[in-house]
Amino acid sequence: MTKATTLGVPAGGRADPARMMEGRERRFAAALLAPAFLALMATTTFPLLHLGWTSLHRMDLAMPYMDGFVGLDNYRELLGDPRFWSALGVSLVYTFSTVILQVALGLALALLVNGMRRGQALFRIVAILPVVLSPAVVGMVWRTFMLTPEFGVVDYLSMTAGLGSHNWLGDPSLALLSVVVIHTWQWTPFAFMVLLASLAALPEDIYEAARIDRASPWLCFLRITLPLLRPAIVMVIIMRTMVALTAFAAIFTVTGGGPGTATEILNLYAYRKSFTELSMGYGSALAVALLIFTLVVTGVLFALRRAK
Amino acid sequence: MKGNKLRLALLLGASGLFLLAWIFPIFWSLLNAFKSEQDVLAYPPKLIFTPTLAAFRDVLFGPTSIVPNLISSFIISIGTTVVTMVLAIPAAYALARLRVPGKKWSGFYVLATQMLPPVGIIIPYFLILRDIGWIDTYQGIILIYLSFSLPFAIWLLVSYFEDLPFEMEEAAFLDGASRLMTLWRIILPQVRGGVAVTVVFVFLNAWNEFLFAVVLSGNVVRPVTISMFNFVSVEQTLWSKLAAVSALAMLPVIILGIIAQKHIVKGLTVGAVKGGGRR
Repeated sequence: MTKATTLGVPAGGRADPARMMEGRERRFAAALLAPAFLALMATTTFPLLHLGWTSLHRMDLAMPYMDGFVGLDNYRELLGDPRFWSALGVSLVYTFSTVILQVALGLALALLVNGMRRGQALFRIVAILPVVLSPAVVGMVWRTFMLTPEFGVVDYLSMTAGLGSHNWLGDPSLALLSVVVIHTWQWTPFAFMVLLASLAALPEDIYEAARIDRASPWLCFLRITLPLLRPAIVMVIIMRTMVALTAFAAIFTVTGGGPGTATEILNLYAYRKSFTELSMGYGSALAVALLIFTLVVTGVLFALRRAK
Repeated sequence: MKGNKLRLALLLGASGLFLLAWIFPIFWSLLNAFKSEQDVLAYPPKLIFTPTLAAFRDVLFGPTSIVPNLISSFIISIGTTVVTMVLAIPAAYALARLRVPGKKWSGFYVLATQMLPPVGIIIPYFLILRDIGWIDTYQGIILIYLSFSLPFAIWLLVSYFEDLPFEMEEAAFLDGASRLMTLWRIILPQVRGGVAVTVVFVFLNAWNEFLFAVVLSGNVVRPVTISMFNFVSVEQTLWSKLAAVSALAMLPVIILGIIAQKHIVKGLTVGAVKGGGRR
């Protein structure tokens, strides 16, 4: 009892200086944090709650007289909506193919460049260009100067190679491939830069030992490089998956989700439903589904990361 | 020996191909900005031509000038950067160097907000901003940009604040300096490099944002990424002008990217590295 009082505020009314300092520090820290946290709550947490609430309503900006609380009706409708399942499928294909391509190509190039004695700087500079550009501008450049039939460079190359001219963005079977290529083009440099930095940081002496043991380069790669690089690769996979799941601008610019729904990932569907068809309630339910989908994928990835 | 030479040639060829694949689309669209409309449309595509600034003249000083759009982009990006830094510097300092109640949770909260799909934020935000009449206003768009710029800036700054030795503050306290003065006079100058890098990235992300801008833009707020669409329509594409607009939209971010090149990897990975460390 007496011990507690000497540690806290003693009987004489004089506060213990260390304790007072700590209290002051806490108050000071709270004051520094408060504005940022209020802003974060206002711009992220509050909208999310609002989103959940809206998803329980019918809200058509075109037919406001029909608005009202409908409980879980939007979600019931969603489960029977073929366009939702199609969007989920496109999201899965888009996410997995872009992430795998980025990591595979990024790793290959990082290995190539890491072995170079000169010219690494050139690759580092060039790799910056795509990743700092706006995906909307990148999408526009690809849509017009690269992929326009009989005018774009890709189509020109295709014709020169004898593969003929194709409607890269208008043909449903090619459109998804095209947007995957565009995303991969823009973000492979990211994987490349991160993996190159990790490669450069690997210890030299292990390779020295392997060389003395006359291990083949392939064996060195499989047994030494890949295991040491694993944390970096997993990190790149997680980050790229998160970004692919929120992708919007490039697809919106290039195809708008079309032709039909060929490139309509969940983001695009939620956007189109809310802002083109003005069905905010159902659009909100789609956004909540997207959020759940993102959480599931993130959960799986982090579980994978923890597993050895 | 012969095998080695062949391998070297193959490796050089492969890396050269990568380099070309990355540079070419950017180079090609930039090149087209300096062509006349006839040269753009020439078949086969022309690499050698008489360069002209006509397209730039048209999009800058012609009847459909994009100067207001460039100004709009700058107002959004600079506004977002200023507000973000004012909020993020104190918060990052507290998270990195002070005893904060619920520190772990605060950190996790900041991280989690970074993972939200933007489309999930824009639907409620549109409804709210519509009710208070903030659609097509700078305060509306800057406010919502905080949703992604603030968590990013806080995490990046925390990593720089954590690198400083703790003795620095202790010495200042012993001299009787107030905590706020310590932050302002002693700590902040030590992390100016980190602050500068954060400014670059926040500006860059704001300049590049598209989804929020599509929904919230109008006649007042109309960044250059949106105005680009004026040059492509179903009837016709104004090729050289579109190329010129793209070039102008690319220019600031390419300059910033090259200035900040040594920090790009850190800027791109900061959240994930941190999240991994805390788990």
